Amino acid sequence: MAKLILLLLNWIFLCCNVAAVFEDQVGKFDWRQQYVGKVRFSHFDSHMQSSKKVLLASESNVFAALNTRTGELFWRHVDKTGPEGNIDALLQHGQDAVLVIGNGHLLRSWDIGVGGMNWEMVLDPGSFRSACLVGHQGAVKHLAVLKKTVISLHYLSNGHQKWVENLPESETVDFQAVYSGGNGEVYALGVVPNSHLAIVVYSLEDGEITKQVSVEAPWLSSIPASCSVISRGLLTCVDSTTMSLYTLDLHLQLEMTQIPLQTLGLDVDPGFRPSLVSHQPNPAHPPLSEFLLQLGPEHHLLLQHNDGQIVTLRDYKPALLASFATAGEKTVVAVMAPKNKTACSINLFSAETGRRLLETTLIFTVDPNGGKPEKLHVQAFLKKDDSVGYRVMVQTEDHTLTFIQQPGRVMWTREEALSDVVTMEMVDLPLTGAQAELEGEFGKKADGLMSMVMKRLSSQLIMLQAWIAHLWKLFYDARKPRSQVKNDVSIENLSRDEFNLQKMMVLVTASGKLFGIDSKTGDILWKHYLENIPLNAAFKLMVQRTTAHFPHPPQCTLLIKDKDTGLATLHVFNPIFGRRSQVTPPALPQPILQSLLLPLMDQDYAKVLLLVDDQYKVSAFPSTKNVLQQLQETASSIFFYLADSGQGRLSGYRLRTDLSTEQVWEVVIPTETQKIVSIKGKRSNEHVHSQGRVMGDRSVLYKYLNPNLLAVVTESTDLHQERSFIGILLIDGVTGRIIHEAVQRKARGPVHVVHSENWVVYEYWSTKSRRNEFSVIELYEGMDLYNSTVFSSLDRPHAPQVLQQSYIFPSSISTMEATLTEKGITSRHLLVGLPSGGILSLPKMFLDPRRPEVISEQSREENLIPYAPELIIRTEWFINYNQTVSRVRGIYTAPSGLESTCLVVAYGLDIYHTRVYPSKQFDVLKDDYDYMLISSVLFALFFATMISKRLAEVKLLNRAWR
Amino acid sequence: MLSRGSLSRLWLFVHATFVVVSCFTDMEPGSGVGVSSQPNGDRFKIEGRAIVPGVKTHDWVSSARVLVEGEEHVGFLRTDGSFAVNDVPSGSYVVEVVTPTYRFEPVRVDITSKGKMRARLVNYIKTSEVIRQPYPLQIRSVGPHSYFMKRETWGWTDFLMNPMVMMMVLPLLIIVLLPKVVNTNDPEMRKEMEQSMNMLNSNPELPDVSELMTKLFSGSKGSSKAGSSSKSSRTVTKRR
Repeated sequence: MAKLILLLLNWIFLCCNVAAVFEDQVGKFDWRQQYVGKVRFSHFDSHMQSSKKVLLASESNVFAALNTRTGELFWRHVDKTGPEGNIDALLQHGQDAVLVIGNGHLLRSWDIGVGGMNWEMVLDPGSFRSACLVGHQGAVKHLAVLKKTVISLHYLSNGHQKWVENLPESETVDFQAVYSGGNGEVYALGVVPNSHLAIVVYSLEDGEITKQVSVEAPWLSSIPASCSVISRGLLTCVDSTTMSLYTLDLHLQLEMTQIPLQTLGLDVDPGFRPSLVSHQPNPAHPPLSEFLLQLGPEHHLLLQHNDGQIVTLRDYKPALLASFATAGEKTVVAVMAPKNKTACSINLFSAETGRRLLETTLIFTVDPNGGKPEKLHVQAFLKKDDSVGYRVMVQTEDHTLTFIQQPGRVMWTREEALSDVVTMEMVDLPLTGAQAELEGEFGKKADGLMSMVMKRLSSQLIMLQAWIAHLWKLFYDARKPRSQVKNDVSIENLSRDEFNLQKMMVLVTASGKLFGIDSKTGDILWKHYLENIPLNAAFKLMVQRTTAHFPHPPQCTLLIKDKDTGLATLHVFNPIFGRRSQVTPPALPQPILQSLLLPLMDQDYAKVLLLVDDQYKVSAFPSTKNVLQQLQETASSIFFYLADSGQGRLSGYRLRTDLSTEQVWEVVIPTETQKIVSIKGKRSNEHVHSQGRVMGDRSVLYKYLNPNLLAVVTESTDLHQERSFIGILLIDGVTGRIIHEAVQRKARGPVHVVHSENWVVYEYWSTKSRRNEFSVIELYEGMDLYNSTVFSSLDRPHAPQVLQQSYIFPSSISTMEATLTEKGITSRHLLVGLPSGGILSLPKMFLDPRRPEVISEQSREENLIPYAPELIIRTEWFINYNQTVSRVRGIYTAPSGLESTCLVVAYGLDIYHTRVYPSKQFDVLKDDYDYMLISSVLFALFFATMISKRLAEVKLLNRAWR
Repeated sequence: MLSRGSLSRLWLFVHATFVVVSCFTDMEPGSGVGVSSQPNGDRFKIEGRAIVPGVKTHDWVSSARVLVEGEEHVGFLRTDGSFAVNDVPSGSYVVEVVTPTYRFEPVRVDITSKGKMRARLVNYIKTSEVIRQPYPLQIRSVGPHSYFMKRETWGWTDFLMNPMVMMMVLPLLIIVLLPKVVNTNDPEMRKEMEQSMNMLNSNPELPDVSELMTKLFSGSKGSSKAGSSSKSSRTVTKRR
């Protein structure tokens, strides 16, 4: 019975504690952008004339179909990350698309119309080499997969294996390519590097080897890089050392024919590895006899094989990219040539003749802040008059896809770099000109009464002008239909709104492209591609100066560190415009160990960034005299820590006045048993409003609010499920004092930690019970505060009281973050990213170690929820309703100008932005505030009084007469 | 009331299942060790079918995924709603079908080192409890996800069911109806009532607030409906 009451109470709490989305709020202040990642394969669906699909397979193991009209996703399938989900090949035939996945481990066929899977087939082990569709007698029914030691043939309809054969001499011969020309034979091409070429011909019917030859080719090392099959089984290779083309008829010849490039009047650019591209529009027919040859970075050729002769059809120089495309029976070549610095022109040429097709020029404008074009995907189609029309999708180095229609109209752009956001910040927007004018009045020194009055008047006038303009715009827009009203957001008219709800999102992506996104609409306002970013770079973004210091522009600094060498560079930019700042960052010749942003400011209001190099020397940026002087004054109170997870060492340092450092403490965690996984401090912009909690008996339990506290997570090196454990160390970063240590036995990572206020919440996997568990640690000073004015790590003699409680969580989690508000009055929620794509807003109230097992009068007074072992996931708590965020990697929270509102950005493969109200909207009227009802009641009351007054008068009069 | 006999039988049954389970689970750690030490051990396939009653599979399969223990293993749905997750080593896993629109209950699948499969209900608190589910899995959607809260809409019923209104209306009804039900002519009853009235108005000198208010506002302003109703109720009490 008691349990029942408990449950009932729990339910009541659950019901009154909802912070959910209302249906009419959908899309009001939230938006989502979906991405696929860097495109590896793309295929225009051409089996139907009217099809608007383009299939994309990306390096992030995502397979998707896009709408070519809008660039939006039709459907998308997100596989596992890592090599197991890696997409090796994409083959499309008709309505089916076949993917080879995980180094040839799986074959998966998709119905591209529905977006569902047709079949999935597990293949024999072996590393994948090549795959192709096999056609016979005009119909494509099979697909061949070549692996290191075996070749197998599968039915396209159900994936079943027709035959599988071992490759002969696979120990010595490296088979690299498979080819079929639609004549009932499958060719496996292998190479013994710098010796000979091996060709094995299999019969399509039963997999019997019909022919096996080896051809001398001492110059050949890799087939896919330099060879291609053209025409009716003519293997053509290009070699840069001998400067020759080689051809071999796979059916007849036993020796390669050498054609020196000189005889064709051609020359390879020095140091360039030439390549060949052939085109096979239909797998049931042999490839075309025309092929593309690239001889230099800007030199392409269209060649044709004609009666044993190689003929140059067209020489494209300069040409950045060239690509084949087929529409109906016609095949064309699209060639991109640089026009000037900011634009490229794309032209179509007939593949058969090499002649330029009229009126097919298309202009592609190169973004000066983007990368160079890298790939050209052409969608050719037949127009009504049987001429060839086309659209192109240009892929650039910065992972951008641009889809262009003639004569250069950009239909859509996709910034696929955004699928891999590494870090981000939200920056307040600047004030408008008028507001800034008003602000500026107070900044300057007073110069006479008259001029002050004049200035005030003029600024008021400007404000009036702006207001009238705003009214006029409202009036003007009201007459137009709603669809035509465009809220064109540009950098120039961006300004802070009343409640500071609209901010600039600065996102740093792994590719090195930076984005500035308007948080209200999700529009990309600026982008900047940083070239020469090392592959394994670590990024740290810091806001050095906000927009609050008006005449000075805001300033962000991005620290880019090569993880291998430790060498770092700084990129300083304006977060509102994305432009590189005038300030020249210092060169950093030494590897950087740690960076810290101090609350100190220089005379231009830029926060000081300290960089610690591997000699434990500290350099400051900016390093003006003023800054150095301030640093000298405050050096004794600047402490920092370094963590070396390889050696399990945590050490604390202190700054000396000469900017050298001194080690203060060191904690060594034995690396044989455990390793440091993560270290979490508190966020510097976090405010805690209440110092303590009021208990049921009206006494106060004071929180232990140590801003220098670090939560260190360790995992055991022994992964056996009986012996594995995780550890949590709470260390004071200044003194090195271990405040608390907790060990969770029979548990393993990944551990997700949130550290804020006086609590640490962490999540781990319990190997004993095979479930995810949350644990919360809260620190309290006790019933009285030691020093209520200032917190000093050096003067806190009493150890805090530690409370801990654990809960079961019915799902694994991807990431976790806590909400953040301006003043910290609003109750906190935890935002939990789930693998299903939902973002759960879990009230911190449920993770409270003071939740009692037995409810008492006092606990009820305190509004404590009775302890229940399992936390519940309610879909009403999903802040992103059905707008799932795939592979959510991080959640960023920022306070807004409203205390009740916290801005949230979840990023992963997708980006989602919304606002959350952890304690509901207590400081603004609700969206559904019923103005109609309140005004109608008022009017009704008013009229009722009027009428009853009149009636009363009449009655009085009547009484008087009586 | 449940008879004691049946209860004890139930308990026995539970106990028996528990024993069976512990046998089953005893085998697992061994297999788990095998997996962790040799990653290329035997791999198995989890098969099943997801069904959304009344909805064509074409409409939802493209956005669905099968997650095994978070994102440790991922499977996709075929166009007919069936699925197979390949390459799963032996162990115990929670299998979930996730779509943004429909809700499916997760199922725990146990795979022995020999490849024997068993499906059971997920219970995170009593992890060893076994309530068998069919295998190959038959996961039926429980319905669409409910993501949204209902807005409070204003209606007459809401207004009437409001506790404040109820508090106003119910005494009114009692006051109007009680005198009719209770025989007021009975002298004993009258005595009793008078006594209780005296209990309520213990301090007759204290001015009534509502009276004061009406005195203040009468004449200058008419009264609203609510006011008039309260007035009428007061008059009723006075009359008594």
